[in-house]
This record gives sequence, structure tokens and C-alpha cells, in this order.
Amino acid sequence: MNFLVAVFSQTWRSLVKSWRSQVLSLVTITLSILIFTFFYLVYNNALQFGNRLDNDLRLIVYLDEEPDQTLQQEYRHKIEKFDKVERIEFVSKLEAYDRFKGQLDDSQDVLKDIPKDFLPSSIEIYPRRSLESLSKIKEFSAYLENLPGVLKVQYGREWVERFNSFIQLLQVVVFLSGGLLIMTTTFMIGHSIRLTVFSRKNELELLRLVGASNSYIRVPFFLEGALLGLLGSAAGMAALYILFRWIRAAFAETAAQGMFSFSFFDTPTAAMIIVLSVLLCAGGSFVSIRKILSV
Amino acid sequence: MSGEEKRLTMIDLARVSKTFPPDVHALADVSLRIRRGEMIFLTGQSGAGKTTLLRMLCGIDRPDKGYIEIAGSDLSRISDNELQKLRRRIGVAYQDFKLLPDKTVAQNIAYSMEVSYRSRQFIISRTKQLLTELGLMDKLDALAGKLSRGEQQRVSIARAVANEPELILADEPTGNLDAETAGLVMQLFRRCNEEGVTLLIATHDQAIYDYPGSKIVRIENGRLAIQKPPVIAKQGEGRA
Ligand SMILES: Nc1ncnc2c1ncn2[C@@H]1O[C@H](COP(=O)(O)OP(=O)(O)OP(=O)(O)O)[C@@H](O)[C@H]1O
Ligand SMILES: [Mg+2]
Repeated sequence: MNFLVAVFSQTWRSLVKSWRSQVLSLVTITLSILIFTFFYLVYNNALQFGNRLDNDLRLIVYLDEEPDQTLQQEYRHKIEKFDKVERIEFVSKLEAYDRFKGQLDDSQDVLKDIPKDFLPSSIEIYPRRSLESLSKIKEFSAYLENLPGVLKVQYGREWVERFNSFIQLLQVVVFLSGGLLIMTTTFMIGHSIRLTVFSRKNELELLRLVGASNSYIRVPFFLEGALLGLLGSAAGMAALYILFRWIRAAFAETAAQGMFSFSFFDTPTAAMIIVLSVLLCAGGSFVSIRKILSV
Repeated sequence: MSGEEKRLTMIDLARVSKTFPPDVHALADVSLRIRRGEMIFLTGQSGAGKTTLLRMLCGIDRPDKGYIEIAGSDLSRISDNELQKLRRRIGVAYQDFKLLPDKTVAQNIAYSMEVSYRSRQFIISRTKQLLTELGLMDKLDALAGKLSRGEQQRVSIARAVANEPELILADEPTGNLDAETAGLVMQLFRRCNEEGVTLLIATHDQAIYDYPGSKIVRIENGRLAIQKPPVIAKQGEGRA
């Protein structure tokens, strides 16, 4: 109890003394968080965009023969051996015919003389809507093409490739801004601790002389770092939310047509980002204290 | 030394030497044992090595040779954490005071108690009590940097005594004080001693140690010279 009181009052005193030099660190951390979370948000939404493409993203495997129950089981087994999928549907020749007929509407009479089994039976595979699965679609299709009895595999090839390279680009950007975030944050934390140590040099020496334990000296720096992380990430998230509202308002019309939808982080993700920033800053300050104070 | 004797010993120095570059023998082969509850005056000319000795006793400097034990802890083998723990049980009034000039008197004194996680009430009442005893109560909220040398000296003494240490090391505690104020300081020290605290007071102020029954250790050019009474120190004896 007294330990906590002592440590908190230490932290408070230190903050009162050095908050001016911390403002720059806080702004830098806020900006880094904003940049990182912005790209992360775009990335997250791009994924959701991909999720909406249900039908475009299915693979259609045309078979040369109508598979019976055992063969269907075998196909199922082989497909799932490559990757878990959302759903597998077998479309028999008759079902294919009925669908086709349905699409023709008024001109159904062109089918009059054509046998009902003129369309091949097929398997429709709906891949899982995760990035990992989506990025493997090309290999998946090659794998399916080599299965016995397969005539042809069809999917939105061009679209999938474009989407994949876009996602990959985003991944790189998210990764880089994450790295930038870690670097600037730890650098600024180190910098602000250096300033604090410098401004409290005599006091820290005195604390050693009167027998302050290492944790008594270190914990306030640690708390200061964590507080910077908390304030920085909260401010960054708030700024991102304002930006988000603005973007959504600006694109309201497009969104109304269902072409485009943009959503913010859910609460767990937002909380996670804040918690991770706090940990990052606290960890950064821990390392810096060890280096600078060597106590 | 027997277990019983070890328990009764506060400070044990065996053949301690300290040389500063290029060739200053600040301490040479000093052996000294001080029992718990003693009040010892450490005297000697300026430059004799008094401050050097005190600095080694509180772990600021390390001896080049020899062995130092404080309250049963060997200072050469003690871990950093244990040293800090030990320091909380030792009150030191430094010759150069080591006050923080931009903090108030009360804040300066509080440091030695805060690191032991004393309660707020204890810190406040103890600070007021000591400042009253030392005639400084009106300076409670003054900045330490604005005080006179003699006032600063008393603040540093108050800080040394505040945390109720087992051992008080005072380096020239009356150097800047008039006889009357020096009397207040000695009265405080004597009261601590009556409560069982061990004191080692480095001084060349003959007025404070020149009384019948005072125990004096004198160093000359880094060597132990005379001791009065002689039993308290042992010369040349190796580590037991
Ligand atoms: N850090 C140091 N570097 C070099 N020489 C030092 C150092 N500290 C002390 N000395 C020398 O060691 C000798 C003993 O110094 P010390 O400060 O212990 O004397 P003292 O007995 O405390 O003197 P005074 O009564 O003036 O305070 C002196 O000659 C001093 O110049
Ligand atoms: Mg001295």
C-alpha cells in the first residue's frame, strides 16, 4: 500500500517536473498510432470487401461424369485435403439444366430439342473467406484441375489476382507502418526518459544514497512510459475515428448504393491496439531505464 | 570473532586501504571495530581521510584492499539490492550536505523516509519534530537552496536522523554552526544514542568531543593514530 502511494507520488512529481518535454513524445506517438491504425483499418475493410464477393469467389469444377455418392465423398475428401473450405455443393447435370433454363426466361424454347444432360455436372467450392485461403486460390485451382475426372476449373481469375496483389500491398504497408510505429515509439520513449533522467539527475543520485530500491526508482519511469502509451494510443484512435467519420460522410452516396462500406474497429480490436501500445511503451521505457540508469 | 560478538558489532573494518591517483594514500591499513550503541568521534586534520572512511562505510566508494562489514553484511559481497536495503538503515549527514536546492526543507527531509515507504503522517510529524529540535521549524517550506550554510547543515542532519536509522554517520556536522546551535545538534545525537543508535561523527570541532568519557578515534595521514579508550579499535589484526 505504502509502496504504491510512494511510487505514484514519485511518478506524479516527475510528471509535473517534465511534462513539457513529454508533449513532443506524446504527439509523435499519437501520430505513429494514427498512421498505423489508419492502414490497419483500410486493410481490415479490404478483407470485409473481399468477404462480400461470395459468388465471385467460388470455384466451379466441371466433371466429365456425374459422380455417385461414394465418388462425391471422395471428391469432398480430396478437396478438404488441400484446404478447409466454407461449403461444397455438387451440381448434377439436371440441376445445371434447370438453372440454365431459369436464366433463359422468355426464350426457353431454344432448349426444346436439346437433351437435358447436355451440361456437365460440377462441384461448386466456396473457399473460406480468409486472406490465407484467398491467397491460395491459384494453387487450389491447379490442384483441382489435376484431380481425376475434372474437365476444367473456373473462377474469377483476374479479379482474384488483382485483389490478392492489392491485399499484399496493403500487408506490406501495414507491416511497414507497424515497424515505423515501434521504432518511433521506442525512440521517443527513450528520448523522453533521457530528458527526465537528465532533469532529475541530482534527485536520482540522492535516492540511491538514501537507499531507494531499484523498483522504487524504476517503476515511476515505467508508469510514465505506460501513461504515454495510453494517452498516445487513445488520442491516435480518437483522431482516427474522426477521420473515419469524415470519410464515411464524404462517401455516403457511394455507400448507399452498396458498392462500398467502411466500418470502424470493433471494441475488442480497438482495446487490443491500446493495450498493445501501452505494453510497447512500458516495455520501451523498461529497456531505456536499464540502459540509461543502469540500476 | 564469535557469533555473539558479531551480533554486537556494528562496524568492522579490517586492514582497509584506499589510494587515489596519482599517489594519495587516503587510508592505509585501517582496522577498527565499533560496537552497536556506541558514539564515536572520528578526528584528524583536514585531509586525514575521515570523509574517505565514511564514504566507504555507506558503500559510495570501495576500498582497494581490506574488508568492511556493516551490521553483519560484507560490503564487498553484498548485492545491489541488499546495499540499498542497508542504506535505508544508515543515516548519513554529508560534509557537502547533498540537499536538493530546488526542493523545500520538508521535501528534502522526506526523501530518507519515503524510500522506506513510511506513511504520510509519520513523515510529516517526524519532520516537524526534528525541525523543532534543531530550531528550524520556521523554514519548513523554504527552498533548501535559499538557506544559509548552517541551516542547510541542520537540514542534512535532520534527513540523516529522520528514518530512525540504526547507524548515523555524520561528517563534520557542526562545521558551520555556532556553539549554541552545535549544542542542539549534539543533544539530538545524544538522544539518538540513548535510544540505542550507533553514531560515528567525523569532526575537528574539539568543543563537541572534549568531555570526560568521550570515545575518540584519530586518523593521521590515513592511518589510525590514537584511540581513547583504546579497547574499541584494534590495529593490525587480520580478518577474524
Ligand atoms: N576523489 C578523490 N580523488 C583524489 N583524491 C582524493 C579524493 N577524495 C579524497 N582525496 C584525497 O584523499 C585525502 C583524504 O581526503 P578526505 O576527504 O577523506 O579528508 P578529510 O579527513 O575528510 O578532510 P576534511 O577534514 O578537510 O574534510 C585528501 O588528501 C584528499 O585530497
Ligand atoms: Mg572530510
